[in-house]
Amino acid sequence: MADTQVLQNVLRDEQRLPRVPEPGVMVIFGASGDLTSRKLVPALYDLAAQRRLPLEFAVVGISRTKMSHDEFRGRLRKALEEQRPGEVSDDVWESFAGGIFYMPGDSKKTETYGELKELLKKLDSERGTQGNRAFYLSSSPSLFPAIVERLGEAGMNKSDDGGWSRLVVEKPFGRDLESAQELNSELQRYFDESQIYRIDHYLGKETVQNILALRFANGIFEPIWNQHYVDHVQITVAEDIGVGTRGAFYEEAGALRDIVQNHVMQVLCLTAMEPPVAFDAESVREEKVKVLKAVRPIPEDEVDNYAVRGQYERGWVWGEEVPGYREEENVDPESVTDTYVALKVFVDNWRWAGVPFYIRAGKRMPKKATEVAIQFHSSPHTPFARDDTEGLEPNVLVVRVQPEEGLSLKIGAKVPGSGFEVSSVNMDLLYGTAFLEEAPDAYQRLLLDLMLGDPTLFIRADEAEGAWKILDPVMDHWSEKREISLYPAGTWGPQEAEALLERDGREWRKP
Amino acid sequence: MIGESRQAPGGGRMSVGQIEHELAKLRTNEDGTLALRSSVLNLIVVTDEESAPEITNSVSKLAGRYPARAVVFIADPEGESNVDVRLSAFCNVRGGGGAQVCAEQVTIHAEGPPATHLESLAGPLLIPDLPVFLWYPGEFSPRSSEFAAMAELADRVIVDSAAGENREDCLCEIAAMLEGPAAPAIGDLQWVGLSPWRSLLADTFGAPERAGELEKIKRAEILYAPGGENRALLLVGWLASTLGWKAESATREGNDRKLEFSGPSGSISVELSPDSPDARLRRIRLYSSGYSFQVSRHRALSDVRTTVMRGDELLAERTVHLGSFDLGVLVGEELRYRGHDEAYEGALRTAVEVLDL
Ligand SMILES: NC(=O)c1ccc[n+]([C@@H]2O[C@H](COP(=O)([O-])OP(=O)(O)OC[C@H]3O[C@@H](n4cnc5c(N)ncnc54)[C@H](OP(=O)(O)O)[C@@H]3O)[C@@H](O)[C@H]2O)c1
Repeated sequence: MADTQVLQNVLRDEQRLPRVPEPGVMVIFGASGDLTSRKLVPALYDLAAQRRLPLEFAVVGISRTKMSHDEFRGRLRKALEEQRPGEVSDDVWESFAGGIFYMPGDSKKTETYGELKELLKKLDSERGTQGNRAFYLSSSPSLFPAIVERLGEAGMNKSDDGGWSRLVVEKPFGRDLESAQELNSELQRYFDESQIYRIDHYLGKETVQNILALRFANGIFEPIWNQHYVDHVQITVAEDIGVGTRGAFYEEAGALRDIVQNHVMQVLCLTAMEPPVAFDAESVREEKVKVLKAVRPIPEDEVDNYAVRGQYERGWVWGEEVPGYREEENVDPESVTDTYVALKVFVDNWRWAGVPFYIRAGKRMPKKATEVAIQFHSSPHTPFARDDTEGLEPNVLVVRVQPEEGLSLKIGAKVPGSGFEVSSVNMDLLYGTAFLEEAPDAYQRLLLDLMLGDPTLFIRADEAEGAWKILDPVMDHWSEKREISLYPAGTWGPQEAEALLERDGREWRKP
Repeated sequence: MIGESRQAPGGGRMSVGQIEHELAKLRTNEDGTLALRSSVLNLIVVTDEESAPEITNSVSKLAGRYPARAVVFIADPEGESNVDVRLSAFCNVRGGGGAQVCAEQVTIHAEGPPATHLESLAGPLLIPDLPVFLWYPGEFSPRSSEFAAMAELADRVIVDSAAGENREDCLCEIAAMLEGPAAPAIGDLQWVGLSPWRSLLADTFGAPERAGELEKIKRAEILYAPGGENRALLLVGWLASTLGWKAESATREGNDRKLEFSGPSGSISVELSPDSPDARLRRIRLYSSGYSFQVSRHRALSDVRTTVMRGDELLAERTVHLGSFDLGVLVGEELRYRGHDEAYEGALRTAVEVLDL
């Protein structure tokens, strides 16, 4: 038995045991920030406590704030404790925290990377992390290029000892096509695309993944999922909350950049894509990119015929009076930032030719709701008397992502009685309710996939760029414009959005 | 989770048609709307009067993850011939829409001769097109014709090999049954309870330079509580069948059991000691020539500590949650699988070889 031979851990080689990643380190840039303590570390703690992480695992946090390892650990523990008082086990936390390290340093400075390299080497020998590392960019996007360049210069874009090196990028992936391309080429100067994991936590949600399960695990939907049967599609991502304390951030972003470019475009892709050959990273992402490529470009001089932006005014949401956007903290009183977006797009391919996709996303809507509604053509001919079919509407299949995950189908049925009156009834299948169990947190799922090296639920460069390409003309047009349509908080958006569908003889659903 | 338990009045002997009708009525809400039934499987349970409350409780908890039609038999072959049917539904509302979803339970007291032909009562009550799981929470006799007739209905049979008095005999009987033709797929709760231990043990060999130590293991020690021997034996069986060890000899010293195996690179001695007061399985240690690997319950019994040592040097250490061994959780684990569990059958076969030595 030669020692160099790579031997397999046969004990793990069984379908009923969970897959556990190889040993490794996760390096977080932006360790003193909000995302680290609120999402990343709690997700890692849960994975560790539930025996899903390898025995040889470590976290290294980097930011400028001066702290000792213990101060950093204490701060993370406090944040975790606040999230779930009384549920954190001392022993499990101590054991997990023993693998957490902190390194104060400026990510713009070269010295930082020399030090980091030393520390990682030390961890490899002391904690057996095998030279495997994931670099998580959880700091301001303006720092991304510098971090990647320094990592590359220090040779950390490749791991010595045959381990892996992966890069995780948080959104936003740029703020338009040009900056996204720039960012991608900067990332790709040092990291191969296969090493880059762009995270959109929406894809980590069980309910979003269920769109794929519904479409591709059921033979009965796919045959009618096309222009022969579908009149149009409505995609809604509505939030009831306002911008809260994130005014300064939101002023720079707006709904189009914050929600539509990533989450909504992902839902569009999952809804419209062709069946992938296999459920692996390349097959799935290839099909999503094809959808983005097929979206008909919106001509800049016709943007107003395809897109509406809106902003909420003071109004009432769920029994409470709430301020208008311009009254929110850190918001320009004359702001024209979009808190609502409605779009009409066409996916010009064989399956979807001529079928409009109406998309809307907004804040301060009457309720939180995410859904995809497939509205079918009316039946070509009804043999029943006109009066008898008054209550009959075309079939609609709604895939609801939130609040209650499920499926509803509106079908025509006979009203009991001696005549032949028919009317629409809703058949609701709450498949979410069939399984009461809490779904794991999206970050937990994605961090585990990252460590296992499965990028299926991460965004590829051409996906991010493809989505920007569709939205660029809209953003250009809006940046020139000083007026914005207003809607009272607690309503489904501005009048102009209603008009967008009315022109086509259609109307928005009320989710 | 907001849940509501609904009972149908009455009981007694009912026809299949009456049962279906009453169950549908149970799904009718107070306002006249109809709650949905959601079901992913059929679950048949055979138990006795004494355990019935605990089992029913586990079944209703299972409805959360595996909404099912549950048919629970409380069987007593001794008494006067009698069949008594009770119906209940567990309904819950989730989210804002107010729609209700119900899982149903049919409880049948069968006494006297009907108790020996439960299959004739269970069969007609199954929801078609859904898998059928049969669960014996207590003692059962794998060789009886009653068991065979029930197993015939099921896609998978869930048992607890340690439920009865003669635990070791039970392992042997299950193994014998698995050798027979048309053997049912068996899930043993003693085996499910080992999953976290097996996974943690596998973790200790996760580093590539240590995977090689698996071939060099010389000694193993397992500490368990009286009553936990099936778990311990299955664990040894799993190690042996996975690592290619062959059972050579077995001796007893007091309550301890010493086993000798021959492996790919020499002999392996295994010691099983029932010295743990409070945990079915307390500690597993493996030794190779240079290393020792240990997974052991922590002072807080819900946690477990893993260590890897080279000589006196601590190479890796970790404490995590062991997870729940609640009856409902264990059975739920088994409901995730169909078909034969080859790892279990391999482990069982070896465990029985050891018992036969
Ligand atoms: N928070 C969320 O819920 C959320 C959701 C989705 C995406 N994101 C994205 O995730 C990333 C992080 O968000 P966040 O909310 O955690 O931001 P944040 O709270 O502002 O944290 C930024 C971090 O970067 C560090 N930092 C800034 N300049 C640095 C420098 N020159 N060298 C080293 N460290 C530096 C800061 O620490 P020091 O001041 O100590 O250096 C701080 O730890 C952003 O890209 C954001 O867009 C966040």
